[in-house]
Amino acid sequence: MRREESISKIIDWPLFIVFILFLLMGIANVYSAAFDPDHPNIFDFSQKYGKQILWVAFSCFLGFLVMLIDASIYRKFAIPIYIFCLILLVVVLFMPAVNGAHAWLGFGSMGIQPAEFAKIGTSIALGSYLSRLNLNQQNVSTVLVANLLIVVPMALILLQPDAGTFVVFTSFLFVMYREGVTYDPLILKLVNVIPGVKFKSTWVGSHFIPILFVVIFLSLVTLLMSNNVITFSWFPGIVIPGFFGVILSLFLLAVVSYFILRWMSSRRDKNRVTLIVLIGFLLCAGISSTVNFGFQGLAKHQKDRIELFLGLREDPDGEDYNRNRAMAAVGSGGLKGKGYKNASVASVESNHVPESETDFIFCPFAEEWGFIGSFTLIAMFMFMLVRIITIAERQKSRFNRIYAYCCAMILFYHFAINIGMDIGFAPVIGIPLPFFSYGGSSMMSFSIMMFILLRLDSQRNQMLM
Amino acid sequence: MNFDSRKFVVLTLFVLVGVIYSVRLFYMQIIDESWTLRAQEIAEKRKFITPPRGIVYDRFGQKIVTNKTYYNLMMVEDNIKNLDTNALAKLLGWTPQQVKDRFREIKEGEGSYFNKSTGKRTSNYQSIRPYAFVKELTIDEMTTIAPHLENFPGFYEEITSMRSYPYATAANILGYVTEVNQEEVDADAFYRSGDNIGRTGIERFYEKDLRGRKGVHYIVTSALNNAIEPYANGKYDTIARQGPALKLGVDIELQAYGEKLMQNKRGCIVAIEPKTGEILTMVSAPTFDPNLFVGKRNISINYPKLYKDSSLPLFPRPLQAEYPPGSVFKLLQSLIALQEGAITEETGFPCTKSIIGCHNHPMATDLRKAVQYSCNPYFYYTTRKIIQKGRKKGIYADAEAGLNVWAKYMESFGLGKKFETDITGLRGGLIPNSKYYDKWYGNHRWAFSTIYSISIGQGEVKVTPLHMANIAATIANKGWYITPHFVKSIGGKGPYPEYQKVHKTMVDRAHFIPIIEGMRRVVNEAGGTGSRARMKDIIVCGKTGTVQNPQGEDHSVFIAFAPMDNPKIAIAVYVENAGWGGSWAAPIARLMIEKYLKRKVTDPVKEKTIMDANLMNVKKKADKYTTRGR
Repeated sequence: MRREESISKIIDWPLFIVFILFLLMGIANVYSAAFDPDHPNIFDFSQKYGKQILWVAFSCFLGFLVMLIDASIYRKFAIPIYIFCLILLVVVLFMPAVNGAHAWLGFGSMGIQPAEFAKIGTSIALGSYLSRLNLNQQNVSTVLVANLLIVVPMALILLQPDAGTFVVFTSFLFVMYREGVTYDPLILKLVNVIPGVKFKSTWVGSHFIPILFVVIFLSLVTLLMSNNVITFSWFPGIVIPGFFGVILSLFLLAVVSYFILRWMSSRRDKNRVTLIVLIGFLLCAGISSTVNFGFQGLAKHQKDRIELFLGLREDPDGEDYNRNRAMAAVGSGGLKGKGYKNASVASVESNHVPESETDFIFCPFAEEWGFIGSFTLIAMFMFMLVRIITIAERQKSRFNRIYAYCCAMILFYHFAINIGMDIGFAPVIGIPLPFFSYGGSSMMSFSIMMFILLRLDSQRNQMLM
Repeated sequence: MNFDSRKFVVLTLFVLVGVIYSVRLFYMQIIDESWTLRAQEIAEKRKFITPPRGIVYDRFGQKIVTNKTYYNLMMVEDNIKNLDTNALAKLLGWTPQQVKDRFREIKEGEGSYFNKSTGKRTSNYQSIRPYAFVKELTIDEMTTIAPHLENFPGFYEEITSMRSYPYATAANILGYVTEVNQEEVDADAFYRSGDNIGRTGIERFYEKDLRGRKGVHYIVTSALNNAIEPYANGKYDTIARQGPALKLGVDIELQAYGEKLMQNKRGCIVAIEPKTGEILTMVSAPTFDPNLFVGKRNISINYPKLYKDSSLPLFPRPLQAEYPPGSVFKLLQSLIALQEGAITEETGFPCTKSIIGCHNHPMATDLRKAVQYSCNPYFYYTTRKIIQKGRKKGIYADAEAGLNVWAKYMESFGLGKKFETDITGLRGGLIPNSKYYDKWYGNHRWAFSTIYSISIGQGEVKVTPLHMANIAATIANKGWYITPHFVKSIGGKGPYPEYQKVHKTMVDRAHFIPIIEGMRRVVNEAGGTGSRARMKDIIVCGKTGTVQNPQGEDHSVFIAFAPMDNPKIAIAVYVENAGWGGSWAAPIARLMIEKYLKRKVTDPVKEKTIMDANLMNVKKKADKYTTRGR
């Protein structure tokens, strides 16, 4: 009993409370999104909300077990856990396809998605590998092994196929970046072949991953916005083409972040901050312009293909049906929303937004709670992510830190892509919103992931590596 | 190496995305309304119930515009099974290709909307929504189609209502109804694509009354377009209300009679009740059956035909044909001259044909005779006395001042401007003032001698037939008029108050007496130019006019009112290319007056002669008249 007491004292309460709040909000939201008037009882286990409660309860039970187990076993059994996950990913390929994907491992009427759990397995394996004492980040073999750990499950997931989870696995590249494992050694090998060139590191190589992310994110936003025009109902006559809207937003962002960064940085760094923000803005604007004008310059069939992929077609009832309905649901929320269980577009009986209890779960939430609700949700996710990074940075063990970063990045990817596709900033890729989307596998995997993190953090003073 | 600072890259990424998403949500949810509208479009269907348009009655309570039941053949694509295109084409009397084309047309037309944010037509076609496959089928057409519809699942009938004109007359007064266009939908929230709107005439002017009030049922619909529930339990639903009935001042039988008299002729008849300003009849010849303009299909066939017709049946002559007034103008010149003191009733002028042409008639020794004989030189002198009255020093300045006084008088008769009334498409005519001539000749470069042809109603002066009828009404009233208008009452309430306002001319009542006496003589005494308008028991006062016309034969014009002592009808008749005023216009006016006052005509010979006459092809320019303005 002494042990439990110690846990309750050193558990990270801010993170735990946000996590529990998310679970409760998630249940309430599924209750609204999947509501069946014939079964009004929230504990009706034949309904999705009843099942979701079961999943949450079961996840909490698993979490309780995790809190009892000593945290050191994850590191010890990292390789077996990882290999077990890979075996499940292989086995699942031989299961019958559901909705065209071999994603479900069936136990009778129940089923789990191994890909969800592979994220945890890979996080542990990556943490275990990158926290070795004699790790040399500049070594090519380090880069290759770390990448291999990610690429193998990714490849298996792509075979299912499950594009969403596939994309989420690229989040581990950020963790590697944080740990100094980047593609720089590979790039140096290529660059230093040129006679007379002898770099020790390249800036592009070192920061390849975040740069790539910014480039992709900015390109998507530019492409998705370039077909739009921004108008203001309270100030008619002002019409901003979408592309200029992007540039304008970037500029405002640069100005704001300039003052914030200057305020935060020490006197010595002030000039550097100015330079970084200026270069950053120019680069971003450059990328955005290149993408915009490059896209305009494409041949029609190429344009069509890209537009089709991004769901950009002027076809609100055909190709673009999902996005259009989702955005209409979110955008019609207004300031205060339409009220709990009062969604008209994303409600289950109208069914205008497909999958409104799973992938598009943010739609009923944003429609019913309006900007106040959706902003609160984003703020809570931001808080959770920043809190996890804070936790990560206070770990003495590198394994713990890497694992915490993995959690943060996975959550961030799910958050950014899932909500991004409801507000027209990301292509429609089916991945769940953590703690909100209906489904056992994602609920269990995210909960276990959080509980392992909490457990690792609670024992941070016992592990030195 | 220490990579701790890289945590800031990750943190920046998180915060940046959080901020960008928050701003985007703020824009989408609070600033940009288009998504709210889109959501309404998607989920909250408003079912509009369009009431039948208001009924229109004539002055005696005859229904002249009513509604008739029609059918739309509706289709829902998802319910169509094993469509036999050939059989459907046969049933509709189409070719199979037309059936296929119609499906495509629906997708591109009704199945799309104008997206304001992109400025493009965007498809919102849904195969679960009903669309009208064939519109405006008559009951007869539907009875042949309906029994076979069970072979075509996905097709069904829907009732609509459209206009019907039992008298098949007065097309130029009533106007017609068509589907709204995009601008009208944008301009007025009342209209939705496919709605009808009054396009011309009464239908257009009283559109806001006639269209009534739509009923609205708010329903929440699902993605399959099934109504889930009435929105807010029908709290906001409203009932459709038919527009109020309009009662026109028009006598529909007189109108029909007038159109019959004018058949195979070009011209017009306008008759007004002087005391009220109500228009009794407004014939525009040639005309057409208003039933030709019922429904999209009919309009698309008949409109181009009538539009191309060289006799211009669509041209609203009474409102837009601006003719010089001809000799009728002499009445107004006399009145102004009397009022200005330029002449007296007893003034005589010699018939000096060297100044201005005239026909042979006894000497006009006083004003009554001058009117009776329509002596051109007499009115040359009279008008000169009005304009060159010596108000200013110097002939040019005097003419300028005189002309402007004269123009003011003319305007007090309602000339030179559009009547502000319930008639659409009016023209104002022209009463020249000094500014007008300054533009042509330069300031102080003209005098009466330059512009003298206005004295006999030729030259620059232009009036519409409606103005002419109003002149007759004004003289009948001895100096005042009420703006001519169509509508007597709207839904039991009187007409708009502006149509009851009395407009006084600048000429005193007493001066009308000799003019009216002159007009009596025109019709009723030997040597009068309008003797063909004479009746045994009713004293008609009239004045002929002959309007010169560079394109061909002169237009025959006649204005009149009757009975002399208690005028009940004032009338203007134009017959184009028919010669002098007494020839055709006068007898037509006579028949119209008799028809209106007695409800029957006692001169069947005259009636037959006129109805049988075909003046459509008289276009050849006759030898130049030596005489003008009889």
